[in-house]
Amino acid sequence: MDLLHNLALGLGVAVSLQNLTYALLGCMVGTLIGVLPGIGPVATIAMLLPITFHLPPTASLIMLAGIYYGAQYGGSTTSILVNLPGEASSVVTCLDGYQMARNGRAGAALSISAVGSFFAGTVGTILIVLFAQPLTLMAQKFGPADYCSLMALGLIAAIVLASGSVTKAIAMVFLGLLFGLVGTDVNTGAQRYTFDIPELSDGIDFAPIAMGLFGIAEIVVNLERHLTRTGAIKVSSLWPTSDEIRRAIPAVLRGTTLGSVLGVLPGGGPTLGAFSAYTLEKKLSKTPQMFGKGAVEGVAAPEAANNAAAQTSFIPMLTLGIPSNAVMALMVGAMIIQGIQPGPEVMTKKPDLFWGMIVSMWIGNAMLVIINLPMIGMWVKLLTVPYRFLAPAILLFCCIGAYSLQNSTFHVMQVAVFGVLGYIFVRLGCEGAPFLLGLVLGPQMEEYFRRAMLLSRGDPMVFLERPISLGLLIATAALLVLMALPSVKKAREEAFQEEG
Amino acid sequence: MNRYLSKDFLSGLMFVGFGVATLYFGQKLAIGTAVRMGPGYVPRMLSLILLGLGLLICVLSLINPGEQVEKPKWKPITLVTIGIVCFALLLERAGLFPALVVLILISSLAGEEFKLVEVIGNIVVLSILCIVVFKLGLGMNISVLQGVW
Repeated sequence: MDLLHNLALGLGVAVSLQNLTYALLGCMVGTLIGVLPGIGPVATIAMLLPITFHLPPTASLIMLAGIYYGAQYGGSTTSILVNLPGEASSVVTCLDGYQMARNGRAGAALSISAVGSFFAGTVGTILIVLFAQPLTLMAQKFGPADYCSLMALGLIAAIVLASGSVTKAIAMVFLGLLFGLVGTDVNTGAQRYTFDIPELSDGIDFAPIAMGLFGIAEIVVNLERHLTRTGAIKVSSLWPTSDEIRRAIPAVLRGTTLGSVLGVLPGGGPTLGAFSAYTLEKKLSKTPQMFGKGAVEGVAAPEAANNAAAQTSFIPMLTLGIPSNAVMALMVGAMIIQGIQPGPEVMTKKPDLFWGMIVSMWIGNAMLVIINLPMIGMWVKLLTVPYRFLAPAILLFCCIGAYSLQNSTFHVMQVAVFGVLGYIFVRLGCEGAPFLLGLVLGPQMEEYFRRAMLLSRGDPMVFLERPISLGLLIATAALLVLMALPSVKKAREEAFQEEG
Repeated sequence: MNRYLSKDFLSGLMFVGFGVATLYFGQKLAIGTAVRMGPGYVPRMLSLILLGLGLLICVLSLINPGEQVEKPKWKPITLVTIGIVCFALLLERAGLFPALVVLILISSLAGEEFKLVEVIGNIVVLSILCIVVFKLGLGMNISVLQGVW
């Protein structure tokens, strides 16, 4: 029983006092930023990246993972009580959750969403355990050409499933890949785009870029907008009625299934999962007219889906080293900071980290139910903190964090530069996530590309001759062709219209 | 309606700009051959693709202009950037506390409301928090006030 042995190993790592503390810390911070509108998990994880440098690898990854799924829980609280989605993934929860709250069922909506999320998180964790080993074994058979094609597929799929213009997103990937090349070329030692600045010879650090693009740009955009707050609805009893439970259970099951599948796909993740689950429930429902007026299914399914997707999106990152969304790209960055090369080797070389992290995710999910339900009043109070207090605090943490990377103010300056760039991206409607994915995968992809070409003596046909690589490239091409078809294009635009 | 001020056209221009810049600054890097690639091979390839995509986006945007770019509000982005730069300049020369005060003051000006009492309160809370977390907790090697602590 290899699996049980691994889980036991993971449990041993996860329940150490230190790791439990960091899991709790991550969940608390995650819930906090989930509750606070105007700061999301991407910006927070980016901000905390430098601090993780001071922590042991396992503890830091456990904490960052906790922030990610904690934000999914926290986001739903504000959606239900104040009709303000704390996170993009809980936008749909507002539709029916807030209506339930107005009908006096706030407590029921909160507990259904928390328990549904916990169930979905558990299923997601089990799926990671089941799929991790086979996928890793498969990935170990990959040659350089296969890897290169796999990354191409991952990047393209991430773009297709994300919203916005496909052409612009592809251009952003290439821009990210180019930024990833800055520094010393590993093969020849030549300096590339360093402009004789010694700090750049190791490449542009990942953390300042992420902080600038996501943290600073987000703050500036929020400062431009006037964020208004409305009063929260009082929570009565947390217990749902038996009728509510009866309607919630199948919805949670469907949401979990859909979320798990969409989470694994590159570019998928919580937001896509939640929206699809809501649409599915509305289509299946015998009383679709109830949706938008406080339907239990409309809360249960998307909440389960976003949490399941948050969990399963770890699968491609942990097994193949391919991040499927911006948060996973940051997790890859966190691993690299710790000197761990993400990919199939993580599981064999660092089993304690791998399994410890997985088990801690389940523990974290259990903690979150406790953090969220009884302490709901405290989180709601936090909503009254005005943004004018938060913005300087976030900025300050970004600056100190960037400095602490290498005790150099050069990194703080980088945050400023990438903040401006990130702001320009937002204004021009270019998304930061594809840029980040390109940036993270750039150096590896170049390495694999050069190795593949060297092995094939400069014959690019190698990418088409190896069956795995060929299959992956066909899938990539098929996705691109699909995107160009007018009917698909229209359906995609409509799907994302509903989101906005 | 100015078609040259659409989000798509301007972002296309930005990509073209980056493509041209990476080609220009990368021209000294040796390209090598497909078998033994020099340091310039992949950058050149990526720059050309980026340039092509940028041009494509520009052309497409002229056919179908789409959304106009919003008029930028200069105050928040300028003040936030100035705040970070001041922090970077002050941190090692004057210490964490002065850098922090300047950053909070400048960035508070970027918002819509500015109440001095609140900002001072914010400064007090955040300085205590930062000193406890970063200096005492994580043991970072920064001085709070240069030459004093």
